[in-house]
Amino acid sequence: MSSGALAGIKVIEFGQLVSAPFCAKLFSDFGADVIKVELPAGDAARQTGPFPHDEPNPEKSGLFFINNTNKRGITCDVETEAGRALFLRLLEWADVLIENNLPRQMREWRLDYEQIAGVNTDLVVISITPFGQTGPYSGWNAYDLNAYHLSGASSRYCGRPGEMPLEHGTFSADYFGAITASTWGMAAVYGRDVVGGGQQVDVSCAEAIAAAFVGGQNIGGYAQEGVFDKRTGVGMPQGAPATILPCKDGHVWMLALEPGQWNGLREVMGNPEWADLDLFQDMFMRAQNADVIYPFIEEWTMQHSKMEIMDKCQAAGCPITAVFTIAEAAEHPHLAARDYFVDIDHPELGQVRNLGAPFKLPACPGGPHTPAPLLGQHNSEVYGEILGLGEHEISTLNADGIL
Amino acid sequence: MAKSLPLEGIRVVNFGWVWAGPVVGQTLAFLGAEVFKVESRARIDMTRNLPPFAEGEPGPDRSLSNHACWAGNGSVSLNLKKPEARDIALKLIANSDVVVENFGPGVMEKMGLGYDVLKEARKDIVMFSMPATGLTGPLKGVRTYGLSLTSTTGLDSLVGYKGGGPIPVENAFSDPFVGIFGAFAVLAALRHRDSSGEGQHVDFSQQEAIMQMVGPAYMDYTLNGRVGGPKSNEHPLAAAAPHGVFPCAGDDRWISIVVADEDEWQSMLVAMDSPDWACAGEFSSLPKRLANIDDLHTRTAEWTSTFDDRELADRLQEYGVAAAPVLNVADLLNDPHYKFRNTFIEVTHPLGFSETIYGAYVKTSRSEVDVKPGPFIGQHNEKVLKEILGMSEERYQQLVSDEIVY
Repeated sequence: MSSGALAGIKVIEFGQLVSAPFCAKLFSDFGADVIKVELPAGDAARQTGPFPHDEPNPEKSGLFFINNTNKRGITCDVETEAGRALFLRLLEWADVLIENNLPRQMREWRLDYEQIAGVNTDLVVISITPFGQTGPYSGWNAYDLNAYHLSGASSRYCGRPGEMPLEHGTFSADYFGAITASTWGMAAVYGRDVVGGGQQVDVSCAEAIAAAFVGGQNIGGYAQEGVFDKRTGVGMPQGAPATILPCKDGHVWMLALEPGQWNGLREVMGNPEWADLDLFQDMFMRAQNADVIYPFIEEWTMQHSKMEIMDKCQAAGCPITAVFTIAEAAEHPHLAARDYFVDIDHPELGQVRNLGAPFKLPACPGGPHTPAPLLGQHNSEVYGEILGLGEHEISTLNADGIL
Repeated sequence: MAKSLPLEGIRVVNFGWVWAGPVVGQTLAFLGAEVFKVESRARIDMTRNLPPFAEGEPGPDRSLSNHACWAGNGSVSLNLKKPEARDIALKLIANSDVVVENFGPGVMEKMGLGYDVLKEARKDIVMFSMPATGLTGPLKGVRTYGLSLTSTTGLDSLVGYKGGGPIPVENAFSDPFVGIFGAFAVLAALRHRDSSGEGQHVDFSQQEAIMQMVGPAYMDYTLNGRVGGPKSNEHPLAAAAPHGVFPCAGDDRWISIVVADEDEWQSMLVAMDSPDWACAGEFSSLPKRLANIDDLHTRTAEWTSTFDDRELADRLQEYGVAAAPVLNVADLLNDPHYKFRNTFIEVTHPLGFSETIYGAYVKTSRSEVDVKPGPFIGQHNEKVLKEILGMSEERYQQLVSDEIVY
């Protein structure tokens, strides 16, 4: 645990499900010493799955496995006075706390920033919640889905007009919030001496997306002109072709906008006569005739496989890609050649393949190597080494239900 | 006045273009770094010409979306087609900590600005490259746009209406995602430099960074061989029901509702005045609600459709149910929550017009971010060439008239 870019940074993670665990995983996978503190019932991810053969087992959750690598795990019932005292002692030791509990929950536990800042003035507290620590919705109950749809992203960019706006089919808001928190939080750690101590880093998953994704592209125009756009169901309504089309064995992201790209596509399609029309030489004109042009292209794509279309179009200079299924992404030779996947031995799951480091630092490589902890796996080690508790004290805490 | 920011003293040279690379610079700049984007009138970035423009007047220094997405970056205009411009860039790099770029693999080398050259200029430089699929491997150099790159990660295959094919996300969610994420990689490399004295060339594959988002679906594949697909707004791991977006009164008004456990379901029943359908046995436990989720969602939609979205969210929240309105772009600017948090701010551009951009979307209790509007081309030429590199006025004017600074 002592090598890696973030070696020496001491982190307490007190999170559940996706956002805080993934944020803390970025710290642990790049070398920080991350101790995950779970309530005796465990992170809710342990109940969420996916489980092998769909048989629930708190030690076999795939979600828990993938977002908690390289961490040590302990249990602590912070609702009890003794548990809370232990938790605060861990915060004295730590450089960073990463948590994603609702603000009202942290207040109930008397673990909100006001309460803990005095314990360790150098502590950087990274709080990741759907709506943030302040503002009218900060008191609301919410999950990933609520955050995503409050960001404007779905109304603007995903779904058919008149039909329900869509999220990505994964925890997009949680992941966006997590990477935002890791960056801003890491900066607060990096520059702690420059700014004169620790601080709270308040991340709202909804706000990060509303600002950096939706706001950046739309807010200036709306503020000035009072008009705004909504989702269309088409990849890029202004130019064509630029959308997802079905093909023989799935789908392709069909993109040929610039003249070179369009001509490349025409060639790959065998220079069909319809594509010669003057009308179709310009991406904007093609978009205005989308109802004509897409059926023509689709007639062609339906006769070919996605990988064939991708390979041939790429060779012809078009930015067309296959829509990889999860299996195709997981088995792709490119990712294998880059050693993206890592096999990890887990005491309950056995050897399981995992996604590797999200980026490569050649001088100090990161990535997962140690499996996610079992519930309370490192209680003796952590409470013993860091807090100096004896075996007897630890077993008393266990017997009292504190751990 | 900004309170002190954590990255004060860090200088970044940003060759990033379009969206993702500039966001890396912006993120570091929001946090206190001094960031100079290198660009040129010889090849104006396409995003500088995206409408709408400030006061409706077209021009590469007036694109509102460009200014929001590039805010925080400074700009030095160097025409890198000319060898002297490259020499000046290298001098700036010699006085910097980080170089950022988001070209395809090999482009920086062709410009004479590969890592080996940069290292000569400054031994411990952190070079951050973020090509679509990384610096190596058989798919290296694949052509994609930001909005289609996600198709190579499996992410796009999960987006859509239940039972249907994938629906495209109509803009590059991945660009700001990898831009902000990339800044984390830069910070990790800086920390390594500080402790070891060693710089490095970071290989940040956008594909690999984005694929982290499909981790949950990847695990279902790894553990069970199951290949996920679109399922509307249902829970990605089938662990909550209802879990969806439901229609409300008015044109294109919707509410998101999540019920994760039995307590929340009981609260929802009370909030709905316990209608007979909801109290029926087929919805009496989470496994049953999941088994009958289509029916559950249809019934829920019937119930929500007569309510105002905000009033209904307030009502459900009073009972502890996770519900929130689905906002459109106009709502963002007017929403009391984003107003309270100063998510969007009006700023005065150095060219004199005012514009609305996003501000510090993260709140830091000890540091106060001072967001500067997106730069006009060459806004910081004098600062860089005269103040940092110590050039004389005469030499500077020569470079301008030779269109090296251009």
